[in-house]
Amino acid sequence: MASLESIINAPEPSTNNPETTSPDADSNPNKRRKIGHRTVAADASLNHLHWTSQSEQQIYSTNLLRTLRHVLRRNPSPSTTASKPRQVRYAADRVLAAAAKGRTRWSRAILSSPPPFNNRRMLHKKAPAARKKVTGLRSMRNGTEKKKLPAVERKTRVLSRLVPGCRKLSFPNLLEEATDYISALEMQVRAMTALAELLAGGGSPSGLAGESLS
Amino acid sequence: MSSRRSRSRQSGVSTEITDAQITDLVSKLQQLIPELRARRSDKVSAAKVLQETCNYIKNLHREVDDLSDRLSELLANTDSNSAQAAIIRSLLM
Repeated sequence: MASLESIINAPEPSTNNPETTSPDADSNPNKRRKIGHRTVAADASLNHLHWTSQSEQQIYSTNLLRTLRHVLRRNPSPSTTASKPRQVRYAADRVLAAAAKGRTRWSRAILSSPPPFNNRRMLHKKAPAARKKVTGLRSMRNGTEKKKLPAVERKTRVLSRLVPGCRKLSFPNLLEEATDYISALEMQVRAMTALAELLAGGGSPSGLAGESLS
Repeated sequence: MSSRRSRSRQSGVSTEITDAQITDLVSKLQQLIPELRARRSDKVSAAKVLQETCNYIKNLHREVDDLSDRLSELLANTDSNSAQAAIIRSLLM
């Protein structure tokens, strides 16, 4: 398990762009069939299920609690550090990414991104989804058909922005990453929910053992 | 991204991704989405699966944000004793 320090401290900006290099083919314990320079895992379908195990959630909760107590105990200067919820979110994501043990692109991307900065002065950028509603080809003006990308392409693009570090991934790899990412997020929600209930004093001990999502 | 799939078809040799592969991955994704799990995979289009996937991830992100909010409050207010008790309890189970 990664040390507490490595999770809390953001790394130096890496010169190695994880999106363009593919060292996974050699070092990855999963068997990967190499297709050109892109790889498709042979048995990726089962990998994401480890997020559902009780022990995984247990380990995550413990590490998260330890990390959070450390993070929130520091007295940061309010002018440069982000808000507490933001710090909690950042820590929760990093502990989650660490639990992936470097096997997935999204987790590596999370671990190599910098800590949140207090950007009160910066304009908050809206998520790309706010830009244009996806209505398909129904929006026609003057009888002329607007040239739009196929729906699948558009939604793939949105998805690639939602999963960290996956903007330039091939479609199959993107779906794989998304599958694993979703399972991990679900575990994150279960664990944090159980933690919150525990800390609020109302949770029963079974609360930490894989509650289903509401 | 728009030419990704056509690019793979043109090169033919090493970067070919079959439709069957894609269908397979899409159906696996569909099984993960609570909204779509009950429906038969031949009745749900790939676009729909992708749409619901995006929505689901956004929802999960929002939940994590809300939980981060809650946890930051709880950890600030709670005294060290109950936090330690929580850790001990979690380790024992």
